[in-house]
Amino acid sequence: MSVNGKKEMIRVENLEKAFGNLEVLKGITTSFYEGETVCIIGASGGGKSTFLRCLNLLEVPTGGKVIFEGTELTDPKCDIAKYRQRIGMVFQHFNVFPNMTCLQNITLAPTLEKKIPVPEANAKAEELLARVGLLDKKDEYPNKLSGGQKQRLAIVRALAMDPDVMLFDEPTSALDPEMVKEVLEVIKSLAASGMTTLIVTHEMGFAREVADRVIFFDEGIICEEGAPEQVLSNPQNERTRQFLSKVL
Amino acid sequence: MLDQIIKILSKYGYVYWNGFVGTLWISAVTVFFATIVGTLIAIARMSKLKIVNAILNVYIEVLRGTPILLQLYFFWIFLPKYMPFELSDLQCIIVALIVKASSYVAEIIRAGIQAVDIGQTEAALSLGLSKKNMMTKVILPQAIRNILPALGNEFITMIKQASLASTFFVAELTTSFRTVQSITFMAIPAIMIAGTIYLALTFTLSRLVGVFERRLQVYER
Repeated sequence: MSVNGKKEMIRVENLEKAFGNLEVLKGITTSFYEGETVCIIGASGGGKSTFLRCLNLLEVPTGGKVIFEGTELTDPKCDIAKYRQRIGMVFQHFNVFPNMTCLQNITLAPTLEKKIPVPEANAKAEELLARVGLLDKKDEYPNKLSGGQKQRLAIVRALAMDPDVMLFDEPTSALDPEMVKEVLEVIKSLAASGMTTLIVTHEMGFAREVADRVIFFDEGIICEEGAPEQVLSNPQNERTRQFLSKVL
Repeated sequence: MLDQIIKILSKYGYVYWNGFVGTLWISAVTVFFATIVGTLIAIARMSKLKIVNAILNVYIEVLRGTPILLQLYFFWIFLPKYMPFELSDLQCIIVALIVKASSYVAEIIRAGIQAVDIGQTEAALSLGLSKKNMMTKVILPQAIRNILPALGNEFITMIKQASLASTFFVAELTTSFRTVQSITFMAIPAIMIAGTIYLALTFTLSRLVGVFERRLQVYER
């Protein structure tokens, strides 16, 4: 299926997630298309992060379907590890591997799971590190890196698997203010390169700048979605207006 | 006192030597197998199968909640009776020590694994790593840093617990002391010698663990 000639990468059908009695997602239906950059905004506890984590099944949905490039990931028979290789994810707290050097962080998954020869994986890792200005750190352990550097490392670690989609879960929320920009620049250039990118973020200015589409989550449902100028400047939904009046 | 010790050592040194070798052998075998069995139990306990979990919980509770001497008696009586093959006293005792120690090791390892940030698991999974690779390449290497100090203590405990084998006159260091004492009637010097050897053993081991710990400190969180 495609819209405007764009391939549908992820389709979400009536997605539900509950933790015990707490319903976090109450039936989400939407699609993400190739090359699209989507920013997901909303108040804390609204289900944005849970939604993102359901897309690669880090959280197992309690209802509904996630369909990635035509394969239903929520099918219990699905070999999820194989598809996770094609869905990169970046976390709020970086989650770089402290027991490996920067280079090893990047080459671990490609060499183990895609059986890419070590020299080739190393060359690609160095290329990626150079792209985010970390080549001189390749043999350092992550404890020597700043928050912004760790996050850039986490981004290229995910990119080393050649994913079709990148998920960013509040990538700048744990950063000192002066490091936010360097990480956003990397994400921006990635989005500009045509990568399908989903970003849960509180950076409204950034969302306005890079997003093709903004989705506003509240209390487990999509309240409003559309072009950034529409959702952020001229919201139709009362709850979107309330939220934006508090953060802008 | 000192001349008594020297006298005992010159005459019965070989008894202590045999005991020392016995203790070293028993504790090395116990440490080796208890670590393997304990690790397997720790990993199995993280399984989602409730029945596996329940069985292992009982295993650990029973072994931690009953005296070790009683367990040694149990295996010493039970195994020869119900096993289809011949077992020496030493083998029965070693099995008992391994089983006992494995329950403690399992708890130490489980705690060490659980202390690794959940974000590490998520990052590894999100990259598409298999569960096995996630465990062996990402989680366990980090967990070892949490585990090693406690495991070192447990190894030292294993050496000391091997002394309980003397109840069954299995050849080890405390049995050596009992032998020498009953021949010479010089109890205090005989104890001092055995104690010194134990101390040398455990001290060496704790230094060794310390070296390993520092090796693993190449990175800090």
